[in-house]
Amino acid sequence: MNLRAYLLVVKNTWEETVAYRFNFVMWRLRVVLQILTLYFLWLAIIPNKASIFGYDQSQILTYILGTSIFSSVILSTRSHEIGEQINRGDLSNFLLRPINYFFYWFARDLGDKAMNILFATVELTILFFILRPPLIVQLNLLFIIFTFISAVLALILYFLFNILLGFLGFWSPETWAPRFIFMTVISFFAGGLFPLDILPKAMFSVFQLLPFPYLLYFPLKVYLGKMTLFEMSNGIFISVLWILVLHWMAKLIWLRGLRLYTAQGR
Amino acid sequence: MEIRSSPESGELLFGIIGRMVVSVSHLSKYYQVHQKEPGFIGSLKSLLARHYETVKAIDDISFEISEGELVGFIGPNGAGKTTTLKCLSGLLYPTNGRISVLGFTPFQRKKEFLKKIALVMGQKNQLWWDLPAVDTFALNKEIYEVPQKQFDQTLFELARLLDVKDLLNVAVRKLSLGQRMKMELIAALIHSPKVLFLDEPTIGLDVVMQQKLREFIKEYNSRYKATIILTSHYMGDVEALCKRVIIINSGRILYDGLLLELVKKYAPYKTITVVFRDYVDPKKLADFGEIKNFDHPKLELRVSSKQVGKITSEILEQFEIEDLTIEEPEIEDVIREVFSKKE
Repeated sequence: MNLRAYLLVVKNTWEETVAYRFNFVMWRLRVVLQILTLYFLWLAIIPNKASIFGYDQSQILTYILGTSIFSSVILSTRSHEIGEQINRGDLSNFLLRPINYFFYWFARDLGDKAMNILFATVELTILFFILRPPLIVQLNLLFIIFTFISAVLALILYFLFNILLGFLGFWSPETWAPRFIFMTVISFFAGGLFPLDILPKAMFSVFQLLPFPYLLYFPLKVYLGKMTLFEMSNGIFISVLWILVLHWMAKLIWLRGLRLYTAQGR
Repeated sequence: MEIRSSPESGELLFGIIGRMVVSVSHLSKYYQVHQKEPGFIGSLKSLLARHYETVKAIDDISFEISEGELVGFIGPNGAGKTTTLKCLSGLLYPTNGRISVLGFTPFQRKKEFLKKIALVMGQKNQLWWDLPAVDTFALNKEIYEVPQKQFDQTLFELARLLDVKDLLNVAVRKLSLGQRMKMELIAALIHSPKVLFLDEPTIGLDVVMQQKLREFIKEYNSRYKATIILTSHYMGDVEALCKRVIIINSGRILYDGLLLELVKKYAPYKTITVVFRDYVDPKKLADFGEIKNFDHPKLELRVSSKQVGKITSEILEQFEIEDLTIEEPEIEDVIREVFSKKE
């Protein structure tokens, strides 16, 4: 693998985002508004020193603000362009060059994420000084390491989901409808709105077998330190399993799709 | 039906020139095309049960191309020219048949294969729209693993030939169509491919640019000993560049051979244009050949190539002449002739 080529893709994607500053700032504004809504909602639900579903105020607020950083990093992607590239025939430009399409998009997503991380950090610093929320700072090295690992796995997991959705373009020009359904599912099942373990126990145990909670809920729960070593290892095991399954599917579908690819132009 | 040119020219084409670069045997590519009846009811029907039809874009074609050849693919829209190029460059999975390019099977898209070829399509772009073209070139340098020195040299050379040195650092979206086309060409050639597939390279360019691009292609061919296959709607491109042509229609090869032979075979005539000094009775002229146009004092006469000499001298003997020219048939007329004979 030619690392320098992919680093250049990261750099170019970064510069491309800079070319559309206004768009990007607007997008980030939307994210900030979303955070504020959730923040004030939970502030009203749990008064100071009270607790709900086993979470006290600082834990819940850390969770909610945490999801905003984590989703900037994990749930940001450019790969929705894949479906369009297939249908417009632009995929040809990649097939003709000795470049790995998977790595190309991963590099592109990293460039996109880098920009998002930068903005999220600035926003949160500002919010932190304005709102002065009672946050939990994790100092236990074990939890920090596990948070990092689970976040990286979440990032890969989300990437594979998006690749798969993009590959639908080989079969149908309509790749947006499934993507919207996916986004709706994610916004609930990943735990971006509330910690998933406040759901009924039976429901939650089924959820834990699905890949979605490992996108946001799991890494944050680890960060809060509210897990045993066994629970953490278990979660990481399930994420890895899903990554392997999705990767295998993505490869298979890619090879199948290429046989159908017509390289058409409009 | 496939017609090859005479054996002598065939030998010239396939025997003397060295290594075989492209070899295609019994290649077919079928598409499944979704058919929809018009209107709302049609949409509903297609939602429930889709009706597919098989379109034979390429139907059992075979040909071979040697190193350093510059071959033109000619045919009407939808003849299968672009599909052939896409199969050769590994974009499409062939329905049937075998393809070998530089000893590789294109669809496998091996790294070593991709490093040696390029496909340039007039309506495609690989340039990063919001960034200067030089950023795309730099990325391709890394992708193709071109050494820095070679990269600088090639870029300098290409930018000079195409006259775009001052535009390398301008965002691509701000370039004109012609300028963008040139940048696309540089991006596609920065790794100095040995085999070049050009699909409508001059489409949408003005006459001056077309001319420049032709010169460029010719120079690239001779300088790098590159094998080039090009398709074009402009017969001018083909005439200026290609000794050998492959004519394709409805996915089948109609003719594969020298352009010169094609003219001999399908248009064994020349046009004599005479301007008379005095009035001439049209009846007297009918014996010489087929009168294409007679608008006194100018006569356009179509005669068989073999008799040109004889007829010309007879005309000069019998009439007072102001001017006389002999012309080869237009390539476009010849091609039309080929298609009309096949239908």
